Amino acid sequence: MNSPVGLAFLLLAILTCGSALVMLWTRKVLHAALALFMSMLGLAGLYVLAYADVMAVSHLMIYVGGVLILLLFGIMMTNSKGSKTDEVNDLWTEQGGKFWAIGIGLSLFLGLCWLFSRNNWTEPVNGPTGSKIVQVGIAFLTDYSFAFELTGVFLLIALVGATYIAKNDA
Amino acid sequence: MHEIPVIYFLWVSALLFATGFAIMILKRNAIFVLMGIELILNAANLNLIAFSRADDQNQGLMLGLFVLVVGVCEMSIALAIILQVYRRYKNIDIDQFNARN
Repeated sequence: MNSPVGLAFLLLAILTCGSALVMLWTRKVLHAALALFMSMLGLAGLYVLAYADVMAVSHLMIYVGGVLILLLFGIMMTNSKGSKTDEVNDLWTEQGGKFWAIGIGLSLFLGLCWLFSRNNWTEPVNGPTGSKIVQVGIAFLTDYSFAFELTGVFLLIALVGATYIAKNDA
Repeated sequence: MHEIPVIYFLWVSALLFATGFAIMILKRNAIFVLMGIELILNAANLNLIAFSRADDQNQGLMLGLFVLVVGVCEMSIALAIILQVYRRYKNIDIDQFNARN
């Protein structure tokens, strides 16, 4: 981990995980949206370090450019005066809720780490270096063409459905 | 060029999954719960990408790209539902919903 790549991985992992923990810690929705933004930026950097540049760029475009703006609109439109969402977020239950949530999360994390440590994944993998965008483009139009078309139809159905659900029929 | 072992990505992904799950059962705001679900989805995606590194057919990468689209669809529909819920109940706290009012 002494190479520049290892240092970059460490910084990006700290950014991603720290922002996720800030999301868990904070009680304000807008701060959590900002922390989600930082977490997605770090995650895009991690995708670059895993040699998945296509994934990093599309992740940045979709999450930072699309989903986060949608989330901010959602927060803005469900946030009138008199509603409790402007104030602190209450816990899941009044007593012991935080303990159970953090206990379950911590045990999940430790259990997953134990599960991963039983396998032999610690040595560096040697895959192809360089951009994968040509391979991904060819694979979209040959091997995955049916799934690609189906994804387009699915996206259309989801967006039309979301518009229909969100319309104001008062 | 030093490569990053897969296990480091798996640790980050495990922490993201655990944090997302804790957010999902801790917070009562529906949008907050949605953010936790997004964290879980991205943790799974990071696993796919990390394991796709050693695969010369890029299967994990392709599946990750499709997962991204499904995540966007889920997000848009969930926000539309939350908007309708807010119009009806004037509130988006999860444990205040019931079918009677």
